[in-house]
Amino acid sequence: MSEFEPKIVGFLCNWCSYAGADKAGSAQKPYPASISLVRVMCSGRVEPEFVLEAFNNGADGVLLLACHPGDCHYKEGNIRALGRHEVVVRILEQLGIEGERFVLEYVSASEGDRFVRLVEDMTDQLRKLGPLQIRR
Amino acid sequence: MENNAQHEGNHGGQGEKLKTSVYFCRCGSNIASRLNENAALLKIECQRDVSKVKAVNLLCSEEGKEFLKNDIMEDRPDRVVIAACSPREHELTFRGVLRDADMNPYLMQMANIREQAVWVTEDIDEATEKAVRLVRAAVSRVQKHEPLEEHEIEVCPDVLIIGAGPAGMKAALSIAQSGRKAVLVEKTPVVGGMPVLYEEIFPNLECGPCMLEPMMDEILHGEYSSNIELLTLSEVDELLGFYGNFVARIRKTPRYVDMDKCIGCAECFEPCPVQVRNTFNFGLDVKKAISFPFLGALPNAPYIDSRKCLRFIGEECTMCRESCPIEGAIAYEQEEEMIERKVGAVLVAVGADLYDPTNIPNLGYGKALGVYTSMEFERLLSSNGPTEGKIKNMGGSPPSSVCIVHCAGSLDENHKEYCSGICCQTAFKFNHMIESQLPGTRIIHLYKELVIPGKDDFSLHHEAKDNPNAEFVRYEDIRDINIYTPGEQENVQVDYRDASGREGSFMADMVVLCMALTPPAGSEELALKLGIPLDSSGFFEELHGRLDSVQSKVKGVYLAGTCRSPMDIQKALDQSMASAGYILSGLVVGRKLEVKPTVAEVDADRCGGCRICVSVCPFKAVEIDGETGKSSVNAVLCQGCGTCVAACPSGAIKGNHFTREEILAEIIGGLR
Ligand SMILES: Cc1cc2nc3c(=O)[nH]c(=O)nc-3n(C[C@H](O)[C@H](O)[C@H](O)COP(=O)(O)OP(=O)(O)OC[C@H]3O[C@@H](n4cnc5c(N)ncnc54)[C@H](O)[C@@H]3O)c2cc1C
Ligand code: FES
Repeated sequence: MSEFEPKIVGFLCNWCSYAGADKAGSAQKPYPASISLVRVMCSGRVEPEFVLEAFNNGADGVLLLACHPGDCHYKEGNIRALGRHEVVVRILEQLGIEGERFVLEYVSASEGDRFVRLVEDMTDQLRKLGPLQIRR
Repeated sequence: MENNAQHEGNHGGQGEKLKTSVYFCRCGSNIASRLNENAALLKIECQRDVSKVKAVNLLCSEEGKEFLKNDIMEDRPDRVVIAACSPREHELTFRGVLRDADMNPYLMQMANIREQAVWVTEDIDEATEKAVRLVRAAVSRVQKHEPLEEHEIEVCPDVLIIGAGPAGMKAALSIAQSGRKAVLVEKTPVVGGMPVLYEEIFPNLECGPCMLEPMMDEILHGEYSSNIELLTLSEVDELLGFYGNFVARIRKTPRYVDMDKCIGCAECFEPCPVQVRNTFNFGLDVKKAISFPFLGALPNAPYIDSRKCLRFIGEECTMCRESCPIEGAIAYEQEEEMIERKVGAVLVAVGADLYDPTNIPNLGYGKALGVYTSMEFERLLSSNGPTEGKIKNMGGSPPSSVCIVHCAGSLDENHKEYCSGICCQTAFKFNHMIESQLPGTRIIHLYKELVIPGKDDFSLHHEAKDNPNAEFVRYEDIRDINIYTPGEQENVQVDYRDASGREGSFMADMVVLCMALTPPAGSEELALKLGIPLDSSGFFEELHGRLDSVQSKVKGVYLAGTCRSPMDIQKALDQSMASAGYILSGLVVGRKLEVKPTVAEVDADRCGGCRICVSVCPFKAVEIDGETGKSSVNAVLCQGCGTCVAACPSGAIKGNHFTREEILAEIIGGLR
């Protein structure tokens, strides 16, 4: 049996994380192909609904990547994102979805390697958890 | 140009469908060689909503852009997807092409198949699949795109400058020289800031007033002075509006001397019966209730200290008016005025203060005689100061030993964590001036760190190091120093433990405390009025510490000088010129201000007036309308981060170009 390839939706802020993913790209560092990246201007733009809809539409995990604390291009969008992350994790758990399926991390524009590692780690973690069970 | 897999849209009668063209860039061989192109094109072509796919060798080349433009003009698609590199690289390029092709530039979406698919996926089939998936997400998103219009607004090119220290003055002059109007608001009766109080200025030991006088003269009487409106004894009370269109309300307190009439003859000082402590000499001496702050102060007109003048505490005294040779120059009838000025930009240059030495009681300030702050010592050195430049204790004799405490309150987690940057140089300037006036004086430097960067600043340090009468003792913690007057003695005793733990003690006739520079008094209040934030140390916070250190977080409000961070005069002036540059290039006479459409917009019908958006906006761009109680976003101030959009509990805010529908379509398109 071939290994389970978890589907991940990644929300990346334009200024640091998306640039970090581009960095991994130009350095040609391979990472699991089953992630789809969605660009937002700031991690603070990500609404709980986006995360829930991602799960609802077949994602096994959601990765929200922001600028490091203090580095947000818009000052504190990543702090908002952090607050919302906590809330969404609680909602997910209420719905019977493991909180570990929604991860918030920080990636700077130069951290291509870190971006790759985070995608790999998340993929490993989701493999352990297995495919998301609740599907409508 | 080679076109593969061309396919004209035919959507089986679904008339509402948008004609969507996908342009697939091979990026030389960068993309083409790492996936199965034919398979990819075929799969893209079959995607719902795709009308046609065209592969192009290098879409960002001149030839590629020309092709894209012509193809769009010929074909008139409703939506365009460009499958190529990162939008961070070429989104603006392709938006430009759409504009040239007469198509709204926001009806395009890029699929980043180079950085996110072919360059990071080793298996060629997987790379093909992923590229197709990214295109699907983009196609699905672009269906939801809306045409967005850039628009323009009129702006006022005039500038409000707060603080007439070196930074504020320099900026006012540059603005005035360009033919614009500068409103220069200064809270004290004089211009020049801190440095007019110094006898000499490091690193070259120029005379302070002489260095600044030409600048001050130009402001008051120069070729462009008519473009500068100087308001002394004034403070900004309120700032309304936004970049390009601010309205400032300025509170001007009376000088009780008509600056247009007064010739500065000083005849009125002598007859005045009231003495007050001179705050410009930090209370070291007294002056009359009507007087100059110090000799040579500009503008050259005295002011009346209304807290002490007899007239203003209920007695009928007209001594100064009687002695004045000019009719109407003494103007008791002046009243506080509220002045309103329209400006396009604001520069904050309110300088700094010294950290209060009584916060470190072991330094003996205010208790032991002969302990001065660095600013007070500057006044003792100054020929227009309380001792006319003679280094001596007030009422006493010249010292034979002076202790200079560096880093007092700086680099200290119990006080100010930062290095104040100017104290070492100040201390070495003092070392030089003491040695030249009183050769042979013992000078003991107590320091924590020595910070002497830059190409000019080493010479004074060398001079101090080479001075045989100067001693250097390094301490670790300011609490290891104890300064006090023992018993009945005149001079002070300094006990210390040095950095290696050794204890010592000496007597000194004078102690100078190089206190940390702090944000100026009242900065919190001012920040609130201007709607700009302070940083964790209380200084005015920059938009970006490296890239945009003279812009505040609010568009159109700039920062220069020590109100931003401790710095010397050179840096303060550099920053003031940088701010002037931003202002002159951003607000151009006769040019309107471009307003980006990628901002947040409130649907008033859905807004519940909960104010969450106001509280989360980092740029003060969201306001609640006093009458309707609904929020609205100022498109000039909004930076398009989308934080309010995500925070709104009623879903009433739309983030243009990153709408809920667009993002959801992209998420779902990528998962399908
Ligand atoms: C003891 C000492 C010695 C120094 N010696 C030197 C030296 O030799 N060489 C050197 O390069 N640097 C020296 N410095 C540093 C120098 O003083 C600063 O770099 C310089 O003053 C910065 O200029 P500024 O215009 O930013 O601020 P300031 O000179 O502080 O001017 C700010 C102005 O704003 C006004 N203001 C404040 N609040 C308001 C308000 N709310 N509304 C309106 N106006 C307001 C103030 O009254 C003042 O006029 C020294 C500093 C100290 C403490
Ligand atoms: S811009 Fe990166 S988190 Fe806000």
